[in-house]
Amino acid sequence: MGISRDSRHKRSHTGAKRAHYRKKRKFELGRQSAQTKLGPKRIHEVRVRGGNKKFRAMRLEAGTYSWGSESISRSTRIVAVVYNASNNELVRTNTLVKGAIVQIDATPFRQWYENRYAQVLGKKKRASADEEAKSAATKERSRHLQAKIAARKGEVEPALDDQFGSGRLYAIVTSRPGQSGRCDGYILEGKELDFYIRKIRNKK
Amino acid sequence: MSEQTERSFQKQEAVFLNAKGVTKKNTRWYKDIGLGFKTPTEAVQGTYIDKKCPFTGNVSIRGRILTGTVASVKMKRTVIVRREYLHYITKYQRYEKRHKNIAAHLSPAFIGVKAGDTVTVGQCRPLSKTIRFNVIKHTPKQTKGSKKFQTF
Repeated sequence: MGISRDSRHKRSHTGAKRAHYRKKRKFELGRQSAQTKLGPKRIHEVRVRGGNKKFRAMRLEAGTYSWGSESISRSTRIVAVVYNASNNELVRTNTLVKGAIVQIDATPFRQWYENRYAQVLGKKKRASADEEAKSAATKERSRHLQAKIAARKGEVEPALDDQFGSGRLYAIVTSRPGQSGRCDGYILEGKELDFYIRKIRNKK
Repeated sequence: MSEQTERSFQKQEAVFLNAKGVTKKNTRWYKDIGLGFKTPTEAVQGTYIDKKCPFTGNVSIRGRILTGTVASVKMKRTVIVRREYLHYITKYQRYEKRHKNIAAHLSPAFIGVKAGDTVTVGQCRPLSKTIRFNVIKHTPKQTKGSKKFQTF
């Protein structure tokens, strides 16, 4: 392939040009990056040094995302890449990399929340009363369960609540899709969420 | 003064910022680097984020501990440390002066580091092409009659 990770081709700390005295070695090799896109799952297995495997995800559509403040994780569909601190090109081409801000499908988290706290999320956007009546927030529960639920505190910050209304949450990718074959991460909250929302809005 | 100057959100990896119902804000993670080196108060009380800081970041100090004088502070968060030594020439039974420059990462915990100050650096993992050391102690240069007016 021609990609090598040696430093013999670079100038030294003093600026001296280093003599080229040996060929490239296999242990210095580098491989093409997986520009992981959104789409039906396609993962290539690579045999790496020591006989181990790396899973190069070429296309992914879902991942496990954690809601930190509630300490839960759900597997969700990834909708779109929305911001990348390093390169706008990666946003335009919807490339999944570690540290990219993505939009994920909010339904598994909403269902979990409504089951646990019996409160409706994203109330402002949800127009029809039918939806509310059908949702898990208003289903039949035993008195014992209702007492347990009343004791729990379900508070969601307004920025997150709006996102639930639109059905899409902002999350950041924390796994390396080209190495592990997975696109996992956590949902943005608090100061981090404000920071990235501002960045996204400024770009538009 | 905000420390969010980059295009990605700067935070300490070891600190979870969004815990529910936790009132105490501004939790900061810091560590004692060992070997008897005091962790500066600015590291504990400051608000800077530096993943390469030995006190508040993800580097460990191990291996060699060297000292030298600061030659230049012109780089962002790094300094060049100059170490002088004498090399013996056997034929003439005399010494010659030699020096080596070391690039070391300077944590924002150390404020007011100027050229000429003495600095102790500890070895850490490679942080960049030439940086394998991290400043762990800083002693400002003592000028005689320092109560006199000094140019900044």
